[in-house]
Amino acid sequence: MRALLGVLAALAAHPLHTTLTEVEQRDDAVQLTVRAFSDDLRAALTRDVTDSTAARYVRSTVTLADREGRMLPLTWCGLRRLDGVVWLCVRAAGPGGVQGLRLRVGLLFELYADQINIVRTSHDGRRGALLFTRGDPPRPLP
Amino acid sequence: MSELATFVTLGFRHIVDIGAMDHILFLLALAAIYRPRDWRDALWVVSAFTVGHSITLALAVTGALVLPTPVIEFLIPLTIVATCVENLAVRDRPRALWGGRYRPVFAAVFGLVHGAGFANYLRSLFVDQVALPLFGFNVGIELGQIVVLAVAAAALAALDRVLALRVRVVAVSAVVALIAVRWAFERSPF
Repeated sequence: MRALLGVLAALAAHPLHTTLTEVEQRDDAVQLTVRAFSDDLRAALTRDVTDSTAARYVRSTVTLADREGRMLPLTWCGLRRLDGVVWLCVRAAGPGGVQGLRLRVGLLFELYADQINIVRTSHDGRRGALLFTRGDPPRPLP
Repeated sequence: MSELATFVTLGFRHIVDIGAMDHILFLLALAAIYRPRDWRDALWVVSAFTVGHSITLALAVTGALVLPTPVIEFLIPLTIVATCVENLAVRDRPRALWGGRYRPVFAAVFGLVHGAGFANYLRSLFVDQVALPLFGFNVGIELGQIVVLAVAAAALAALDRVLALRVRVVAVSAVVALIAVRWAFERSPF
């Protein structure tokens, strides 16, 4: 009985394990703005969130490929903090629009089994969305 | 997938996940007193809980209500304990206050608290466009609750084969209350 109570108590913490990534065309580049809870990101990095640690982590967990499947290098464009959330920015140059690019957002999957990463796209006045859970492959952007 | 469907999925997965044990146990505490033939009463109570969620949703979207997350996280197990205490204290419901029909009222009030818990999370993440995520997430939560309640009803019906109703109510409420009291101590901001 005590063991059961212990297990249930351990499950009590009920945070929402999610991130939001906005994908949009900016001039000749596609910009990804990732929003993640600060405490989750700190736990993943096992150290303070700085430009260099965050950039390395995002590049290791987020992949973007063109319509032929060629990987697009992601250039770091900074971070900012707002109300317990860190906003992380990366850009890929010249893929020629958002639609059809193949994206995978694997942030925090190594940490939380229930992690869900949401992606929102906006281009030509249209909006779309994707959802990534652990084990999901790259998907074409709507 | 549409944007709305994405957030409905997020809410649904959030509530049916084993990590959502606080919401699941609250629903179990609410359902603990009902038999299969009382499904209308159970539906009223859960609908009231939904109304509470929705009111918090509206308040959160307009920014009219901002409660500190640690306080909300502390209040959630207290709502579970209060529900269990009510289960244990009221033996003869037809003779209780308002013939026992006050239950939807407190379910709605407790729904406000539970709703505030996830509203705080979503507001900080979707700070600029919060209405659609919150609405979709809430719909997903409600759909998930129906699934959780269906499973709870089946489990309680199975218990009824070996336990009298009052024994079942006491056993389920006591175990759930014990867990929630522990959570309350762990989350206490004081």
